[in-house]
Order: sequence, then C-alpha cells, then structure tokens
Amino acid sequence: MLIAAPAIAVIVGVFHQALPALGWQLFTKRTNSTGIQNAILGSLLFLLGVLIVAGTIGVGAGIYLAEFASGRTERALRFFSEVLAGMPSIVIGYIGYVTLVVEFHWSYSLLAAVMALSVLVLPYIVKTTEVALRNVPSALGEAAAGLGLPRSATVRQVLLPPALPGIVSGLVVALAISTGELAPLLFTAGFSDNDPTLHLFHHQVPYLTNVVFTDISIPGARAHATAAAAGVVTLGILLVLIAIGRILASRARRNTARMSL
Amino acid sequence: MSEMPAPTMTEPTVDPSVLAATPVDAQGTPRPVDAVFTVEQLAFFYGANQALRDVSLSIGRHEITALIGPSGCGKTTFIRCLNRLNDLIPGTRVEGRIDFNGSSLYAPGVRAIDIRRRIGMVFQKPNPFPKSIYDNVAIAPKVNGIRANMDELVEECLTRAALWDEVKGKLRDSAFSLSGGQQQRLCIARAIAIRPEVILMDEPCSALDPVATIRIEELMVELKSDYTIVVVTHNMQQAARVSDRTAFFTVDVSEGGRTGMMVEVGSTEQMFTAPSDQRTDDYITGRFG
Repeated sequence: MLIAAPAIAVIVGVFHQALPALGWQLFTKRTNSTGIQNAILGSLLFLLGVLIVAGTIGVGAGIYLAEFASGRTERALRFFSEVLAGMPSIVIGYIGYVTLVVEFHWSYSLLAAVMALSVLVLPYIVKTTEVALRNVPSALGEAAAGLGLPRSATVRQVLLPPALPGIVSGLVVALAISTGELAPLLFTAGFSDNDPTLHLFHHQVPYLTNVVFTDISIPGARAHATAAAAGVVTLGILLVLIAIGRILASRARRNTARMSL
Repeated sequence: MSEMPAPTMTEPTVDPSVLAATPVDAQGTPRPVDAVFTVEQLAFFYGANQALRDVSLSIGRHEITALIGPSGCGKTTFIRCLNRLNDLIPGTRVEGRIDFNGSSLYAPGVRAIDIRRRIGMVFQKPNPFPKSIYDNVAIAPKVNGIRANMDELVEECLTRAALWDEVKGKLRDSAFSLSGGQQQRLCIARAIAIRPEVILMDEPCSALDPVATIRIEELMVELKSDYTIVVVTHNMQQAARVSDRTAFFTVDVSEGGRTGMMVEVGSTEQMFTAPSDQRTDDYITGRFG
C-alpha cells in the first residue's frame, strides 16, 4: 500500500498535469513549438548509445568476473565496481564535464552524454551479468570440463546461452535506470531545439528529462503541461522497458528451473 | 569456477622397476595384465583436510572396475583424480602417483584438458546441456575440431549408447524433453563422441529407476569391448552384476578427521565371495554401511 500509493499518485498526477499538452503534436513538433519530438529522439539515441557502450563493457566485465577472474584481479575489479555503484550521479556528470567536455574538447555532445550515463549503469550490468552466470547450474560447467572443452568454449557455448535471458533483463533494467537520469546529462549533453544528429562530438543533444527540468521552471501553464508531457513519455519508455525486463527475467527463471541439476 | 594450475605433485616413492617385477597390488592380488591406470599411494587433500589416503590399484584395459564403499569414503574424490577434474577446485593437492598408459597423469606439462578428452566422464545426475539432443552429442567433437561427418558421428554415438531408436525422429528437440534414463544415456553418447579410451562413471544410476538402471548396466557391459570403464556405485548388486574387478573403500575416523582409504581390490568374484579384509566382509554382508 505504502509503495502502490505514491506510484499511483505520481502517475495520475503527471497525467493530470500533462493533459492539456497531450496529443500527436508531441511527436511531430519540436521543443521550439508545441512538441518534444527532438527530445524523444535524443533520449532514444542515448538508450542506443548506453546499450552499445555500457552493454559491451558491462557484460564483458561480468563474464570475466564470474568465470575467469581470480585472486587480486577479481578483488580489484569488484572494488572499483562497488565504488562506481556508490558514486552520486551528479559527481559522475561533473567529472564527465571536466574530463570529456572540457579536457578532451568533446564539448556538449552525444558521446560525452553516453559515456556519463554508461558509467552510471555499468556496475549494475556487471552485477546482473555475473549473477546470471553464477545461477547456471555448476553441473553444466563440470560436464563441459569433463569433455575437455576449453574454458572459452565452455563459457560461450554452454554457460552463456542459459544465462542470456538473465543478462538481457539486467541490460534492459539498466536502460530503464538511465532513461530517468538528468544529473549526469546536465553537464555533458547540452540541449538543442533541433533533432539530434549522429555526430559524436560538438553537437548538443536534446532529451526528455531536460524538458521536464527546464519547462517546469518556466512560468506559464503551457510550459508546465509540456514538462509533464515529457514526464509522461519518459514514464512510458520506462514502463515498456520494465515490462520487457520482467518478461525476460521470468523466462530466465523458467530456464534455470528446467535445468534442475 | 576457474581453471586452476595443476595441483602440486610429489614424485613417486616407488621404484617403477620393482613394480614391473612384482605384478601384484597392495594386498597381493594379481594386477590386471594390461593396466590403463596404475595408482600408487595416492593421497588427496582439500586444503589442510586429507580426504583420501593409501590408494594403490591398477585398472585393466577393457575391464569394468567398480569402486564401492560407504558414503564419504572418497570414491568420488578418487574417480575425479583420474581425469583431473579436481583441478577445478581451488586449494586441492594430490600426492602419490597415477600413471595413465605408463606416463604420469600429473606430470608438469600434461594439460588437464587433453587428459579429459581421453578420459570421459558420466556424472551422478544426468547433466545434458540445455541444447538439442543432436547438439549435445556434437558439441565436443565440433569444439575439438574433429573432422567427421557430424550426422554420422551423432547417429553412431547415439546408437552405441542405445538411444538412437528412441530419439532418431526428434534430434532437434531439447535434451530436457527426455526422461532421466534417456538423459543419462545421452550423456554417455556425449562422452563417447570424442572417442575417449576410458569412461569414468560416478554413480551413474543413483538418480534413475530400476528399469533405467538395468539399461545403463547392460550398456556398460556392451561398451566394455571398446572402452575401459571405472564406475563408482554404492549399489553392491550393481558392482557384482557388471564389474570385473572391485575396489573397496572405507572411511578412517581414527585420527579425528574423516579420511577415505582403499581397503582392498581384487576380482569381483573374489571380493564378493572371499574378501581378505574383515571390513570388506562386514560391508558386503551388510553388517555396516
């Protein structure tokens, strides 16, 4: 009850606020008019970027931790992953600003934003990947070892396939987390009333949480409704991602249950 | 579970020439003429805990050797020394000597992976991969680069494992669609697909019903002509039914810890009719265990 009530209150509240602005023009007009098309596209672009950058590194590190690392490397990797997990998102944004935006001369850009978001969700992906692999029954690893399969082939062909639904569901939830973030982006993405481009550097990128943040501080009902509408769309993306994640997670559980070894 | 460096191994204290001159095992029973494994004074440690001591026996080619004894007597630990599967457990150590076809199994430079390709294993519970029936058999030859007509190889192995007639119409179905007994025969087919010399079986029937058990036992006897089989069982009837030689293990609790040890080894007939050690007699006649 205590959990359901605030969730419902937020969703109903945001919807109510957004009502005057809801309509197709949200998706067809840009933020210099009555829509948020450019911000939606920018946010989706971030998702793709995080999937590529954090997905590759995070899944790779998770596999390494679960199956290959030992001793000092394992402890070090685990330590840094925990440090990252505890890092406030605003600090990640600030460091992204100081290094990527200023020092590397990337300016406010797609890549700087994607990197900051990736650092934020990386520990989560590492953890879920590692857990998914560790949940694969050890009897499978023994069977593979008993056949003289090399470690790499064992991981690729025997352990990864049953762990995949768990890994992907972790990825999807990581994307959901990054969808709602603002702090790391304030310092790295900039904003623009134009549609985002695929340029990695020097081109500012509009995104949904920025619309919520900016328009709410502009006086006037119109802007407030747009802010709420951006919130509704963010919530929508989030709910879709969470739904996908849950479907995959239940598939993962069924998978492991079937292998009652 | 990561691949650990080979456990440290002390060099043998037994002069091999003496062994050659006296072809008997510890208790004076004749050794098999053609031994695949020769084990001398094997001891095994999990960290500081000694799990096994005083194992000396030979395992004859194309014979079925049964390892019997009460729970915790080190049978499984011992059989996992034979294909170096214990290497996977960090902090384990082997002392003594195991010769496989005349050369030390634990010598520096011997890779556990190569050993396991020549010495296959079937586990206590059927553990097929979550793949199709076909892929379960084909995976090891594929990864090991065996160039063969894969369809023929799969059919041959499944036929050899007495499973072909039951699965030939559904090779692409998941291995989990099979019954427990069928899964275990699939695991045997998977093991023989890389053409090992030896098949180690660790209580292969303990999770199966009596009918499935009999099928596996019949299969073991059939496979004997091509493979050397070592089987751990705590079903004494099974040992008596299928094996040529039997080794009896027990638990020594005298020094505070629980250390498994081999008591005696001999032809199955002799072990079940006239064991030379009282402890074997007690176990076989059901006075303990």
